[in-house]
Amino acid sequence: MKNFVITREQLANLASKLLGENWTVISPSQNGSKYLKIKDAKDLIIDSALKPTDISMKEHFFPKSETLFFFKRKKDDYELIDAPGSEAKTVIFGAKPCDASAIPVLSKVFNWDYKDEFFNKRVENTVIIGLACKFEDENCFCTSVGLSPLAENGSDIFLIPLSDDKYFMKPITDKGRDFIAANETFISEADNISEPINDFSTPQKRFSTENVKEWLDKNFESKFWFNAGETCIGCAQCAYVCPTCHCFDIVDEDCYSCGRRVKNWDSCQFELFTKHASGHNPREIQGKRYRQRVSHKFKYYKDRFDELLCTGCGRCTRGCPVSIDIGLILEDINSHFLETINVNN
Amino acid sequence: MKQLIEISKELLESRKAGYIIGYTEDKFHRTKPFIAHTTNDAEKLTFNQKAVHNLAVYLTRLPKPKEGKIGIVAKGCDIKAIIGLIQENQIKRDDIIIIGMNCNGVVKDINIDYNKENSQMKCSICELRTPKHANYIVGALEDFAKSELTKNILAEFEALSAEERWKFWEKEFEKCIKCYACRQACPLCYCEQCIVEKSMPQWIDSSPTTKGNFAWNIIRAFHLSGRCIGCNECERACPVNIPLSLLNRKMGMVAMKEFNYRHGIEPDQPTLIGNYNTSDKEDFIM
Repeated sequence: MKNFVITREQLANLASKLLGENWTVISPSQNGSKYLKIKDAKDLIIDSALKPTDISMKEHFFPKSETLFFFKRKKDDYELIDAPGSEAKTVIFGAKPCDASAIPVLSKVFNWDYKDEFFNKRVENTVIIGLACKFEDENCFCTSVGLSPLAENGSDIFLIPLSDDKYFMKPITDKGRDFIAANETFISEADNISEPINDFSTPQKRFSTENVKEWLDKNFESKFWFNAGETCIGCAQCAYVCPTCHCFDIVDEDCYSCGRRVKNWDSCQFELFTKHASGHNPREIQGKRYRQRVSHKFKYYKDRFDELLCTGCGRCTRGCPVSIDIGLILEDINSHFLETINVNN
Repeated sequence: MKQLIEISKELLESRKAGYIIGYTEDKFHRTKPFIAHTTNDAEKLTFNQKAVHNLAVYLTRLPKPKEGKIGIVAKGCDIKAIIGLIQENQIKRDDIIIIGMNCNGVVKDINIDYNKENSQMKCSICELRTPKHANYIVGALEDFAKSELTKNILAEFEALSAEERWKFWEKEFEKCIKCYACRQACPLCYCEQCIVEKSMPQWIDSSPTTKGNFAWNIIRAFHLSGRCIGCNECERACPVNIPLSLLNRKMGMVAMKEFNYRHGIEPDQPTLIGNYNTSDKEDFIM
């Protein structure tokens, strides 16, 4: 398999050319808030040491609000009008491994019992250029969930810095190979350069997801949850900034004679999420809602799709107004599991 | 924090308090809210310049203790929220024990140590470093570096034209993702059913679109008019950094200017909205 090299300047030139051809070009924003559609190649941010943006990349595949269709009232009937789908060819530059790897994980649920054509169309139209990561803080735990700063999952092309202005460029998928072939004037072949993986430290593993899963299998009613969720104030920023949280609500909106059906982000951390029409709520306290968040990520998704619903990006912890640390909670679960083994032995 | 721990242990041991809402430090030295149920838990309580959270938010969210009162660790500014809740009949003064902390300023960004740049604006103009209405006062007052009030952001904002202000908020609210972290972090947002959750009829579009976002953020500012005590927790909780306090401060200034009213000062003072005074201005009524 051929590998390539591209300079920082040529990456900008490439972005410029694609913008000229009406591609949607996305890059982490200057202020670190999100992955942003850029209009000028000078706004392109390629930086391995970048802190993960406040909000994940998922909104470019699963937007915070998406119209499914419009409807219009006719005399005795309704007329349904398709929502304009996103046809724009899109490229994302500098995706963090913990963001890019979320896309194939999300694909599983969006293609399970129902195929989400909106999500699939966006995935199909988007080339993800991942970038090896040199950022680490106490909130990160990618290596504990089977990923790493060099994880290529989800990327179509993967960049690893060779120096400050030169990148090793590795095609990962056919889509990536086609993209490189179509833009070969910006890229040179890397005949005698090997993959520069030695510059990357691997953050220490903090817990075993197998242990966590085994503990979750048996401890649905554990008191642990009531302490873990006690200080959670039930805001859903964790779910909204998360690259893999994917719950949504469907509502009809607008005027009497015309309207639209729209899909909006939702979260299991809200009391309303499970409140029945009768007023009964099976998850009546925050501890049970917090249990759902952890269990969905480390048990239910694993059971159903054999994937973890977490990429260890640390966003939920960084943004939590009351500093609840999912990494520490998982470490605690891991030690509880180890304690039970010791007791049984 | 020996004094804080001693008081808390005594309260829990004697069962005068069922639990104590306070702060603890985790292994990464993050200061975070913590509920102490036992004397062992009480050993973990702490207070420092990263104790920024307004713990009054838990008073209406946690289940009542089976025995004893609710103990709460509070800064002078947080007590305003507690007094506000008493004024609004959400809690009774007799049901809580306030451990007031002498405060030497708190951080703006919880991930960075305290310094002049990383300090809350509210601390620069604080009049309540030694709390009022507390059952205990703990800690010592020390000099601290205050952020400089170099410019009055609100005055600058008010100088803009209506069109410019509209553009400003259009851009800010465009970022809103409707996670409602602002509402959840607010000690005065305690409605059992928030207006955004009412669907028959749907007063506010639940979509994070321009219309839905304007409706939500403006209605929240309205609902907090004459009630916001200025803790700034909504702005701190906002994951997309919308300057929400601009709206709340403006409404607070109107309450002050038009009705000479500030919320959360005296527990027995009637609330602005819940009280009628014959001397109230009527010039805003058509």
